[in-house]
Amino acid sequence: MVRPDSTHYYPGTLGSKPVAVQFHAGSHYVALRLLSGYLPEEKLKLVHYGSPQFRFEAMMNGEVEAAALMEPWITLAEKLGCRAVCEGHYLGAENASDNMDEATFAAINRAIVKAVNRINADKRKYLRYLIDEPRFAAVAARHGGITAEDFHLPRLRYSYNTPYTDEIVADTYHWMVRWGLLDGAACSTDLVDNRLAEPEAVAADD
Amino acid sequence: MQKVVSEISGVVFSLPWLVARDEGLFEAEGIDMEFVQALNSGKVTPTENPEDVNPILGHVAFEEAQVAIYRA
Repeated sequence: MVRPDSTHYYPGTLGSKPVAVQFHAGSHYVALRLLSGYLPEEKLKLVHYGSPQFRFEAMMNGEVEAAALMEPWITLAEKLGCRAVCEGHYLGAENASDNMDEATFAAINRAIVKAVNRINADKRKYLRYLIDEPRFAAVAARHGGITAEDFHLPRLRYSYNTPYTDEIVADTYHWMVRWGLLDGAACSTDLVDNRLAEPEAVAADD
Repeated sequence: MQKVVSEISGVVFSLPWLVARDEGLFEAEGIDMEFVQALNSGKVTPTENPEDVNPILGHVAFEEAQVAIYRA
């Protein structure tokens, strides 16, 4: 995203311009994926600023030309007149320790599936969790705050947990090695242990 | 009840977990869920070199086996 007074309207003009991300996190990877479609690698200038609060603030105070943000920071930025020059989505992951037994993981997942159904049945009802998160709320208050009506609901995407397919693992592995984010000596089968069974869909009214 | 400790980071990622806790969905599955907040990065010294940043980020509790699951 860029400030309201920014001269950038699409990613192609962000060559050699600082873009705030959090290295080794979703904002880093999605920014690479999006910007590399418009710019040569040598013109990508991603800068680690840590958590979304600090990326948002670096964008607003002009330290960087753009910042990779996620909700509810996107909604706050848009309310302030900031605009997206590109937008991407990525896959979240549940990462369990080796000693998590399958029955416990399955029970957790059944609860999560029901929660996902409830959220998708009435997203606006649950936006208070995002709006009221203390660190976000403190910053938002300094900018006039946001309400549930300010959100673009289709941006919030909650789906059932499913195992990574071998194809997704392989594609992601090769992409990370290509960008120097993973040691090529590592093996994808060493990194991913898909023990989660396919969850059963649960009716929205559970 | 099976006790599980989970890390919570960004609310947008953890929303189903928060709803499951607050609406009794974990309890209904026999799970006593406890949340531990991931470490916030705080204000960092900006860098353009990914190798300057520990990829563990705020997931310290998971790395130290204090929580059994986290999401990112």
